[in-house]
Amino acid sequence: MEDTSEAVRKIIEGFGSIVLNVERVHGLPVVKVPKEDLPTIAHFIHTSPSLRGTLSLQWAVDLRPGERRFQLYYLFSLEERGDWLVLLTELAGDDRLFHSITPHIHAAKWYEREIRDMFGLIAQGHPDLRRLVRHEHWPKGTHPLKKEFPWNTVLERHQGQYAFRHIEGEGVFEVPVGPIHAGIIEPGHFRFSVAGEPIMQLELRHFWKHRGVEKVFENLSLVNGASLAEKVSGDTSFGHSLCYCQAVETLVGVEAPPRARYLRTIFLELERLHNHIGDVGAICNDTAYTLAHAHCARMKERIMQLNDRLTGSRFLRGVNTVGGVTVNLWPYHLDEIVYELDEIEEDFTELTRILFNNASLADRLETTGVLKERTAWDHGVMGVVGRASNINRDVRRDHPFAAYKDFTLKVPVYHYGDVRARMRVRIDEVHESIDLIRQAYERLPEGAITTAGLPTARPGDWALSAVEGWRGEILYFVMAGQDGMIHRCKVRDPSFVNWPAIQVAVLGNIIPDFPLINKSFNLSYAGNDL
Amino acid sequence: MFRILRKSLKTGIVTGQHDASSASAPTVAGESAEKARSFRRSLAIREVDTGSCNGCEMEMNALMNPVYDAERFGIHIAASPRHADALVVTGPVTVNMEKALKDAYRATPDPKLVIALGDCACDCGMFKGSYAVTGPVARHVPVDVKVPGCPPRPAEIMQALQALMGQCA
Repeated sequence: MEDTSEAVRKIIEGFGSIVLNVERVHGLPVVKVPKEDLPTIAHFIHTSPSLRGTLSLQWAVDLRPGERRFQLYYLFSLEERGDWLVLLTELAGDDRLFHSITPHIHAAKWYEREIRDMFGLIAQGHPDLRRLVRHEHWPKGTHPLKKEFPWNTVLERHQGQYAFRHIEGEGVFEVPVGPIHAGIIEPGHFRFSVAGEPIMQLELRHFWKHRGVEKVFENLSLVNGASLAEKVSGDTSFGHSLCYCQAVETLVGVEAPPRARYLRTIFLELERLHNHIGDVGAICNDTAYTLAHAHCARMKERIMQLNDRLTGSRFLRGVNTVGGVTVNLWPYHLDEIVYELDEIEEDFTELTRILFNNASLADRLETTGVLKERTAWDHGVMGVVGRASNINRDVRRDHPFAAYKDFTLKVPVYHYGDVRARMRVRIDEVHESIDLIRQAYERLPEGAITTAGLPTARPGDWALSAVEGWRGEILYFVMAGQDGMIHRCKVRDPSFVNWPAIQVAVLGNIIPDFPLINKSFNLSYAGNDL
Repeated sequence: MFRILRKSLKTGIVTGQHDASSASAPTVAGESAEKARSFRRSLAIREVDTGSCNGCEMEMNALMNPVYDAERFGIHIAASPRHADALVVTGPVTVNMEKALKDAYRATPDPKLVIALGDCACDCGMFKGSYAVTGPVARHVPVDVKVPGCPPRPAEIMQALQALMGQCA
């Protein structure tokens, strides 16, 4: 138990007699505790004034067939930009029950429901144990991520009805929306309870797009997983594949060459750019301001065409590989990037000047869909949405990956938490991204872009990796299996965390403002549903 | 006001500023061609996502941007399947979306066309065989045109739609 991390020291101080083991796994402190005491320690980490840990991720691992045990991991981010800490507990043999931490830590709510659906492990004391991923027509006892569940099972179709929460009273009615929506967007169900215009309650019913991504990962070898990671959420293809590759690189103990790390930075910022510019336009479009939308869509298209010319893919697919990147950028490519971005920055700056002078636009955006800082913190909200609600977190600065530790990064933070703040964060980040790409262009080192010869990973070894995608913090947990296969891959898109917060942000707003609020969050359904 | 006008004048017309599709246009024959005849000049599309990664959605959206501007060929996006002539289906048809897809198909008035967009819709792509997937699209509803690609480029989607409408040069 020799660990210098302050958080671990505090836990040992308070709970020394309980803690079973402390170790570091690839630099990450892991504290193993008995399952009975886990909620107490989690509560301590969450509330202790010096730690103030938010739950970033909670996931389970089925260790069979090797060992008859389930493991439960809890990843906490400490303080504002602090370190990570993992709590680990185990359920041995046929034990299927663990203690819920949701009563104290709100952010665990969906994770524990997900673990119950995917593994059949039940969080005792959880206030809401309705099904989350498995819709009601799935047969009882179907838990896809258990090892004895064959990945290609054909599911029977049963009868069942999801029990929505109802508000009753005079003049209260419900508006069901979805799963198929009016625009070209992904499927999800929203159930509004309204009396008159203001929304009294919104309940999400998601997971229509559940494709079994995490189970399909278990059929792949560690080296081949990146192509599936690209398909977790198409708009974040590069962010997801980067996060996956970094996790595997940590796992097998290689490091991408410096040039590859710079190229990854450039590509990740290009992805951020086209999405942010597109989003600014889409937010305006939802206030019927189509002029801004047309201009932004034009600029976004320009960047996607640039992506295509650079890599042969508009979504930067096939670029990341374990150990580096497959695409090199030649000097004429780099000049082209800088030329295009100079033009786009000027173009975009002109447009934002028009936007900020538009009073009717400001009227729709200001004070709409406010997500308060406290609510955001309780939900563990991250990324663009978090930074608009004064959650000052950015993986690029707090846990630098790729080449980010070589750059200075200004992280825009606003505290209003309304639609306008979320748009402002995006606009600021567009400029920041262009600036980062320019810095990377100037300092781009020469050399190889891939690492030759990948060592094999020891079965049972695991690694965790984080990437600041354009939406926010993407997390991948990868555990190696036998013969270089993936034993378990937990994928966490920021959407999974931010979706529940939208239910709070819309309260008191009118239904016609919901599309606008939803757009300002712009969360992925595919990345959420997996 | 002047700022907006100046911006528009400075930008000029961007429509058509993209590379031509390098894929070959799909052939539309038999019954599909027969059905498509009535939509030669106007095609209202309802997009149904049955579990795609949202890459195909992004490219469908790009189709409506000023660069591709599919509206100039009479291609519109309808808000409801009841107003649609064609369904564009993306994704491998997840267990959870199967019923919604069939409902949308039933709600679309006859004659109707179905376009399977992207590798997932054509043959389930990487998710073939997964417990959560019941596709491909053709297993559940009759498909008239398949547009492969992961995702297909907007120019390729446009080419396929124009081939379907008999507008191909």
